[in-house]
Amino acid sequence: MFGYWDALYFLFVFIIGLILAYLLDRWAKRSGMGTRKTGPGAKIFISGEDPDRVIPGFEHLEGHYTGRNVMWGLTYALKRFFTVLRADHTGLLTDYASYLVIVTAFVMGVLLIWG
Amino acid sequence: MIQFQFITAFLLIALGIYAFLAKNNLLKLILALNIIDSGIHLLLISLGYRVELNEIPTAPIYTGYETLKSPMVGPLPQALVLTSIVIGVCVLALAIALTINAYRHYGTLDVRALRRLRG
Amino acid sequence: MMALPYLMIIPLFGAFSMPMVSLAGRKAREAWAVLISGATLAVGSWVFYRVYEKGTVLYTLGAKSPLGQANFPIRIVWEVDLFGALMVLMVAFVSFMAVLYSLGYMRHDTGLDKYYTLILILELGMLGIAITGDLFNFYVFLEIMSIASYALVAFRNDTQEGIEAGIKYMLVGSMASSLILLGIALLYGQYGTLTMGYLALKLSQNATVVGKVALALLTSGLLFKSGASPVHMWLADAHPAAPSSISAMLSGLVIKIGGIYALARIAFSVYGISISVKTVGWLIILFACITLIVGNAMAVIQTDMKRLLAYSSVGQIGYILLGIGIGLAAYGSRTGEIALAGAIYHTFNHALMKGLLFLIAGAVIHQLGTRDLNDLSGLAKTMPKTTFAFLIGAAAIVGMPPLNGFASKWLIYESSALFNPVLGAIAIIGTAFCTAAYVRVLYTFFGRPSEKVMEAKDPEKSMLWPMVILTIAIIVMGLFPWGISDKVMIPAARALENQLAYVATLMGGG
Repeated sequence: MFGYWDALYFLFVFIIGLILAYLLDRWAKRSGMGTRKTGPGAKIFISGEDPDRVIPGFEHLEGHYTGRNVMWGLTYALKRFFTVLRADHTGLLTDYASYLVIVTAFVMGVLLIWG
Repeated sequence: MIQFQFITAFLLIALGIYAFLAKNNLLKLILALNIIDSGIHLLLISLGYRVELNEIPTAPIYTGYETLKSPMVGPLPQALVLTSIVIGVCVLALAIALTINAYRHYGTLDVRALRRLRG
Repeated sequence: MMALPYLMIIPLFGAFSMPMVSLAGRKAREAWAVLISGATLAVGSWVFYRVYEKGTVLYTLGAKSPLGQANFPIRIVWEVDLFGALMVLMVAFVSFMAVLYSLGYMRHDTGLDKYYTLILILELGMLGIAITGDLFNFYVFLEIMSIASYALVAFRNDTQEGIEAGIKYMLVGSMASSLILLGIALLYGQYGTLTMGYLALKLSQNATVVGKVALALLTSGLLFKSGASPVHMWLADAHPAAPSSISAMLSGLVIKIGGIYALARIAFSVYGISISVKTVGWLIILFACITLIVGNAMAVIQTDMKRLLAYSSVGQIGYILLGIGIGLAAYGSRTGEIALAGAIYHTFNHALMKGLLFLIAGAVIHQLGTRDLNDLSGLAKTMPKTTFAFLIGAAAIVGMPPLNGFASKWLIYESSALFNPVLGAIAIIGTAFCTAAYVRVLYTFFGRPSEKVMEAKDPEKSMLWPMVILTIAIIVMGLFPWGISDKVMIPAARALENQLAYVATLMGGG
């Protein structure tokens, strides 16, 4: 029931995956229209950030994958949630203490009613 | 007999918690912590005090208690409170030291000013 | 068992002789710190071996027998079962690594005699919590640990960050400690004893309202200490502000020992089935779910590397609490046992992983002087060994299969899915957020190098070796996951669950 897994299995799966990937690659190369070996099509493309392109006015950001934008989709989709969370972390000591008192009162209430 | 010491203890704890939540001055917060601690110490000390057969209990002398006629104050809470007071003093000293440092950096003792770390 | 007191004596002696030893110069101080923490690790390993081979160990200070004839049996007991011994091993190991790392990392700071004194006192407090069997003794060790960590968080008192984080941590933490003390005082007033075993016995005979109130106070205080949401906010301030070797100990050890271990000990060994385990279990599960989501989600949007790691710690505490909560709610069934084993396993793994990650963050700060993720792009070119270690640590904490994080998380997922599928889904969502956070850091590290990182290089030997050892430990533990689970973690979970044996050991004398 609980977990049939071994590091050895992982190694097997990994090797099988490598072989499959190699076979797929060969098959694609043979049956496709021909893959591009040079030019802009062969460049690595990460999350909308073209490393060689220079945008006017943003030269200082030129081509660093800063990682800032990698999870852009996630943060944008959950923008509301993150805004609420961020606003909740006020950094005020009194708020921290209030949360502690609220948690204590809640736990005590639950334990007294259903404990 | 109404046991005033317990009422006072819980009153002190409640006062301390209220002050901790309502006040904004760092020194007052430290005082509030000490009031909470004092309340708990009073509670612990009161737990050891007992009046049996209308006799005032004697001090807890550990050796030779078999021959004692009157009841004895529980010795354990006093040891606990002594330890706890020492811990309280330690916390107090550290808190005051940090408060002085905070005043040097922020120029104020208002806790509402100490919120550069957030989010 | 005569080795147990040395677990206290060695760090205590080392801590208070440190100012004198450091009069002899920097070399003597460093050698003394390494020697003391190494000796503690040796004793801790021996204690673990002994408990693993021969079962629960009892050590009494004072009267040997619980039954008094002519005089009162005045005594304090230390009781170490397999769970406690595992925690002892974890604390001693990660503390040793942190001390080794401090040699290089703290070289440019002043006041180092105080630093090493405090780090040894911190280790002492944590070891004490792991071995004690007496509630007030537990409180004293908790305060020793807490005060040392308050002081260490504010160690760099020339920075605003350290002072602000120290004040927030200290004041609210003292209030949580006061709540714990109030709970202990109420228990003493009601039952007239402080020994956990007797207390368990008396609670099982008659669980009063006062007992429940005391449990509520203890639970909320310990939830605060373990950094469960919504009382986790001090953690994200305090852990990044400390020096990195201390962050590794705070995130890896303090929140586990002072929070999780103590909570599990009180919920299982002291209270156990004398109150409704379902209520307490679901209460902890509720906090665990909030913690999982909030901690991991907040990690995604951080730009400060150490703050990201601190929020990730909050998220991982959520998994551990989830395991403990299911272990309580499904008390006695196989699912509960597996969940508990998963929680214990994850506690141990997370100490290694988060220790490693904070040490790496420290190495980066040491080289570049910044921990803003936007400035760190392309670190892989100039610090390859550090980046590789980070890759291993991040993969382990996300739960990639060949590493140790997978096995423990898998146990928690599977048992939570069996217990209630909704909880399993929440755990998976938390992992999704966790993955997103670490992928951001990894993309930053493997990106195109900026000018700033060009002069960085891999750290010196005394900082590199602890990272290498922790990485090797993570990989090796990942190779034998089910062996470790069956041989150590499930027996530890059984030892924790078996309240009867805990009480019986106490009665059997030393």
